[in-house]
Amino acid sequence: MKRIFLLMLGITLIAGYALAQELEYFHVYKPKDGMTADEIMRIKYFNKYTLFAHDVQYTGKAYFIDKSGSIRERSTARKRINLGRASDGIAYKDLTVFTGPAQVKGLANLAWSYINPDRDQDVWLWLPSLKRIRKVSASQADDSFLGADFTVEDISTRRFEDETYKLVKEENFTGYTSDFMKKTYSVNTPCFVIEATPKRANWYYSRRLVWIDKNYGVNIYEEKYDANGKKFMTLFRGYEIFNVDGKEYPIQMFLEGKDLRSGHCTDIINETVKIDQGLSEDLFTERALSQSRW
Amino acid sequence: MRRFLWVFLLFLLVGFCYAQDKFDFSGYLKNETSFRIEGLNNDLTKFKNIIELSGQYKIKDDELVFFAKTKYWYDAMYDFRDEYDSGQHYQGHIQRADWLRDCYLDYIKGPWFLRLGKQQVAWGQSDGIAVLDRVNPFDLTEYWLQDFVDLRIPLWMANINYSPKLNSNLQILIIPDFEQSTAAYPYAPFVFYSTQRFENWRKGQGGVDLNIHYPGKQLENSTFGLQWSDRIGDLDYTLNYLNGFYYSVRNYTIYVSGPPQGGPTSFWKVDRSFKRWKMYGASMNKTFTNPGPLQGITLRGDFAYYDDEPMYWGDPIIASSSGIKRLDNIFWLLGVDKYVFTNWLVSFQYAEYILQNSKPGATTARRNYFFNPYTYGPQDPLEHIFSIKISTDFLHERLKPEILWSFTDDNQGRLSPKVTYELKDNIWLTLGIHYFYGSEFDSNGQFRDQSQAYMNVKYTF
Repeated sequence: MKRIFLLMLGITLIAGYALAQELEYFHVYKPKDGMTADEIMRIKYFNKYTLFAHDVQYTGKAYFIDKSGSIRERSTARKRINLGRASDGIAYKDLTVFTGPAQVKGLANLAWSYINPDRDQDVWLWLPSLKRIRKVSASQADDSFLGADFTVEDISTRRFEDETYKLVKEENFTGYTSDFMKKTYSVNTPCFVIEATPKRANWYYSRRLVWIDKNYGVNIYEEKYDANGKKFMTLFRGYEIFNVDGKEYPIQMFLEGKDLRSGHCTDIINETVKIDQGLSEDLFTERALSQSRW
Repeated sequence: MRRFLWVFLLFLLVGFCYAQDKFDFSGYLKNETSFRIEGLNNDLTKFKNIIELSGQYKIKDDELVFFAKTKYWYDAMYDFRDEYDSGQHYQGHIQRADWLRDCYLDYIKGPWFLRLGKQQVAWGQSDGIAVLDRVNPFDLTEYWLQDFVDLRIPLWMANINYSPKLNSNLQILIIPDFEQSTAAYPYAPFVFYSTQRFENWRKGQGGVDLNIHYPGKQLENSTFGLQWSDRIGDLDYTLNYLNGFYYSVRNYTIYVSGPPQGGPTSFWKVDRSFKRWKMYGASMNKTFTNPGPLQGITLRGDFAYYDDEPMYWGDPIIASSSGIKRLDNIFWLLGVDKYVFTNWLVSFQYAEYILQNSKPGATTARRNYFFNPYTYGPQDPLEHIFSIKISTDFLHERLKPEILWSFTDDNQGRLSPKVTYELKDNIWLTLGIHYFYGSEFDSNGQFRDQSQAYMNVKYTF
């Protein structure tokens, strides 16, 4: 009897611990002093994927700047709906449509991401050159995201479970200066500095140093290091705080990635943001893709 | 003249709407140049200049939207090369109503989506092989080398969609319009062997009475289509049905003898007619997203049952059709895609085209073979078709190489490597080769002397 009681107690404690690990959708979480690296990173991932909001819409531009200063441009309109639905395991759905330049105008990408971190995304493309929908395999995590200086996992697929974490220090971030924007961001922002090590062996980076804003739990800056311990990539994210129904939503408005080896740089600027507009899930279906005109 | 009035009116509309910020507009200018690389005739085979303009006007937000796309092209190769003079009238510039590529009104409200007007509809999951993609006719004047958006000939239709639940859709197509699939005209670089052979034969006869019987313009001659799309678990599927006129014309040739005692002389009578047929089909796709050995693989499939497909039959030795026979054929395809080595996408497709009478004894001692309609060569009762495409990108997606190899089990096919480079946001350069091989009686083999190197320059705005 005693054994059964102890077993029951153990199961209850384990279940309670597991539940505590999962943050509830549509809530706002902020880090606190004394939190572990794991707890801070859970909040960071929660905020990265805007799981505090029901839906988010962006329009913006991406700039690809090579070493010589030559600039290419893409403009996009993006929508996300967060679901966190246990019945089909869907965490959120994203729809990205290229609105320019004309060569890629109309190209659209619909991706469904799942709660299970080991599960790949389901991805459909609308291809203007075929005027049809094409189901495609999810891009590999270490592939460049749309030709940018960050990878697919940097933007859309890396999960909390992919790395192990260690709190290195707490400090005020000295600020990040963007040559492209000619502006300095996040000066003296109090941060946790966390070292993230990938669980995969022989991955394209050996560790990341991530600066997490203590006030809002978002990663504002990170450095990636290769197997030889050499820094090869930096990523800066600029956030704005949106007040929605009395809740503070940190929304990423600016992203700059630099490849220190090639000198190439990518900037993504969100020009407009709409939050919690009551988007219908019908907008994130194959049928919605098939309504494309370009 | 009338078409330009339309364009003029369109631009007036553009000017009016632009001010209201409801208008969106884009287009491109493009030059396509190709050279024959086979044999001694490594000469110019295309110098095509294209302009395309597209615009949409939001009449009522996203609920009611008008969209139109126009296109005009001129192939100056027919001016430069005397030997192609005969084809210039049909091949040198855009034909008839083809300049209007899209012209429709979209209405989206709740579960309803209506698209009314001139448009194209793509069914199925296959790449480059039209198993279910039979709603619109095809423009094969450059064989299957163009993008599918340019290959399909748009039709006026009502495209009615209703979504009874999330991720499902019922599509009803009512197509009163009719256009036939077009092929290259005699003496053009990509003229089908059968077309050129017929032309040679026609010129050798004293008189040929050629009649083309188009479907009458009654509602009952419309094409009707139905597609149900849904999702079971993480498998997407469609069920398809199409009932209409087959877009490729079929010849029926008879010899009319003159009376032995004088009167009208003997002559050949060729009747070309369009036959009604039906297609029943289904398609599926599934990506293996869960951890396991198949994770990352996408499976695609099309299945079609062609009911009463009009086919030719006859003696391939003399390559002359003895008539038309209606067959119930099956065409199915399975495709597999996977990313390997980070950003190399490998795509493989296997298809079988099975003629109804593929069982032994279908062909007789009298050589009653079914014909490949492109070449009048003997058609295999069971055709195995393969395609492999490998694509990747370099320089931050600025440089995109790709290679496509499509072939059948008859040792004939096409190898098409190409590379696209983005010079600037609005200037794109493509270099490539189409290499054909095989017997002159096979679909690709008939162009074995037309292998080409090409260059496209596209300026977008």
